[in-house]
Amino acid sequence: MKKQKEIIVALAGNPNSGKTSLFNAIAGTHLKVGNWPGVTVEKYEGYVDFKGYKIRLVDLPGTYSINAYSPEEIITRDFIAEKKADIVVNVVDGTNLERNLYLTTQLLELDPKMVVALNMYDEVQKLKISVDFKLLQKLLGCHVVPVSAVKRTGIEALLDHVIRTYENKITIPRDKIFYSEEIELAVTEIQGLIETDILLSGKFSSRWLAIKLLENDAFAYSRARQSPSWVRLEKRLPDLMNSLESKLQERLGQHISGDRHAFARGAYKETVTMVNEEKKTITDHIDSVVLNRVLGLPIFLFIMWLIFQITFTFGKFPMELLQSFFVFLGDKVSLLLPEGMLRSAVVNGMIAGVGGVVGFLPNILLLFLGLSFLESTGYMARAAFVVDRAFHKIGLHGKSFIPMVTGFGCSVPAFMACRTLKNRGDRLATMMVIPFMSCGAKLPVYVLLIGAFFPASMSGNILFGVYLFGILVAVASAKLFKATIFKGSSEPFVMELPVYRLPTLRSILMQVWIKAWMYLKKAGTVILAVSLIVWVVCNFPAAPVLDREYAAKIEAVGKDPKVPPGTKEGTVAAFKNELAAKRLEYSFAGRTGKALEPFIKPLGFDWRLGVALTAGFAAKEVVVATMGTIYALDEAGRSESLTQRLRSDPAYTPAVALALIVFVLLYVPCLSATSVFHKEGGELKITVFYVLYTMTVAWALSFMVYQAGNAFL
Amino acid sequence: MKMSELKPGDGGVITSVTAQGEIAQRLLDMGLVKGTHFKVLRKAPLGDPLEIQLRGFLLALRLKEAEHIGVEKRPGK
Repeated sequence: MKKQKEIIVALAGNPNSGKTSLFNAIAGTHLKVGNWPGVTVEKYEGYVDFKGYKIRLVDLPGTYSINAYSPEEIITRDFIAEKKADIVVNVVDGTNLERNLYLTTQLLELDPKMVVALNMYDEVQKLKISVDFKLLQKLLGCHVVPVSAVKRTGIEALLDHVIRTYENKITIPRDKIFYSEEIELAVTEIQGLIETDILLSGKFSSRWLAIKLLENDAFAYSRARQSPSWVRLEKRLPDLMNSLESKLQERLGQHISGDRHAFARGAYKETVTMVNEEKKTITDHIDSVVLNRVLGLPIFLFIMWLIFQITFTFGKFPMELLQSFFVFLGDKVSLLLPEGMLRSAVVNGMIAGVGGVVGFLPNILLLFLGLSFLESTGYMARAAFVVDRAFHKIGLHGKSFIPMVTGFGCSVPAFMACRTLKNRGDRLATMMVIPFMSCGAKLPVYVLLIGAFFPASMSGNILFGVYLFGILVAVASAKLFKATIFKGSSEPFVMELPVYRLPTLRSILMQVWIKAWMYLKKAGTVILAVSLIVWVVCNFPAAPVLDREYAAKIEAVGKDPKVPPGTKEGTVAAFKNELAAKRLEYSFAGRTGKALEPFIKPLGFDWRLGVALTAGFAAKEVVVATMGTIYALDEAGRSESLTQRLRSDPAYTPAVALALIVFVLLYVPCLSATSVFHKEGGELKITVFYVLYTMTVAWALSFMVYQAGNAFL
Repeated sequence: MKMSELKPGDGGVITSVTAQGEIAQRLLDMGLVKGTHFKVLRKAPLGDPLEIQLRGFLLALRLKEAEHIGVEKRPGK
């Protein structure tokens, strides 16, 4: 068979123009999409076979221009400017063409082989916007293909154009002049100087480089300086720029940018006719309520409260059902397997550990459903707008809000989402406080403890309170950081507010399904493995001395004529429990827990919690899994859910439960999140500080909560 | 006058952008150039930032940034 030829196709476009949706539609992947600018911060790749070609699709982070303002914009600029793609597909939002065409003009300057994908064409048609494609193609000098990533229409036509453009089978004459005459003359002159260096003009489009030099672009200068043509450029550029600026009475960069916007506006005005502006009005109506001066903040808080309320209330029934299923499963398996090590490992290690975690799947799904809905409708950007003033006051940025809410799901993407913050101080300060935004993996711990120790009517509110408490700690920490270690001016807040969109059921369900699948996969791998390790450290070393001692005691009871026959069974069971507890204390886990006890005693935690919290470094769900295993071993042979066991254990009070919730809420995130933090933060000393800081805060605040709880509860 | 002095509902045309460096670049990239028509839609519940409409889309920016934008007030549509 003939080897397929590979073409590299880059998707470039404005933030929120639907590049990732289009990528998913073409490559059949399920990457995360959302309705706010900056969902994609990393470049993603996928493959698709089409007409004998292997198309390597690269989804670039969205950018408004190629001046590269934030780290993810630099990824895009480097990729396109250095001609790493065979074909560039410029994705434009068809309902927002004027603004989107600005980037198109910049991409055209780079002179790549390009096709424009006019995305959201279904909405364009619904809004009765008509686009003169023929004229638009002539003005831009490249093909424009209507597509709808959501409805999956036009995809084949787009790929067809990509192939034909690659094969040079289609060309369209281009009226390539965007700029006023003076600028064009200067561009031509500089272009001539650049072209004296064949290497430089071979790597970059000389016209683009000339324009960028006139715009005072740092990247262009750094490249030009390395070139032999710099000697001449250095002489000519300042004079040329000065004379132009005095002639135009405006800074050159502003003028050039203005010309591009004028071109984009012109192209838009000539090719697009709009019958009504209905979509904008709907957005405006919603905004006049949710961004209202008086109602804005209460609505924001209400929406957050509602999500947690739903998470608890609707999740309760399926959660209990799943939990009783695992208890049932444990009992059945106990009957099948002979008594001994294997049975204990399967029932107390695997089923109790994994079951404890899987039971919380409904709650996790509901939380993600709520967050996905907020992300896909466009409310998230509004929330950033609403809180910016308050965030700015404490030293964070309105845009910090989005990574922070992402942190409610998982800290890993949240740390990565911080890349949309350009200012390093803002970014590090936000990353440092993300651990306090309670991640989904911690939810099982709260649901377990709140369910066990507080009345059902208060549960949702307490859960909301836990998250709120995390936010308060985050806010206070941010203020502290910005005042001390991450000083410096904050980034300006200039952010697009996307129009509201009703997410498709498919995309929401797909995102929730992916989360569910990942959760189950984690339960079946990491959590299963850790549960088994926990079981091993809880059972070894074996304690033959204890075993013999209790075997003797039990035998003695059986033979003792003084003990009335009816109470013998009870006494034997009590001995068995005592033995189980003593064996556990004797094990590695028990010894570790005991060694930790002096540190956690002031928080009201016993050694068993020490073991659970230590295991929680691997993954936060493991805290619950470990408690499941320990309690299953501790009290041999009782069919009860973990909730019931905790409730009946005298070592636990509501004060201990609250202190434990606070500790789990605040202490250092799991290993994988910490390694991502390290990668994104880039410095060992910052990572060390982050670990120490979260541990200290967790300890101090749970200490206070425990002491206060003892005094008042 | 400055954009920051406008009230919700006011329309205007940009006459100058006096910001420096990266802020200036960001404003230019978002289409805030001389001659651009815009409308102030609202202020955030806490009084800052502003939401404006221009070039067919919605943009939020802080008063601090809006102070660098010279405008001429025009009656809103």
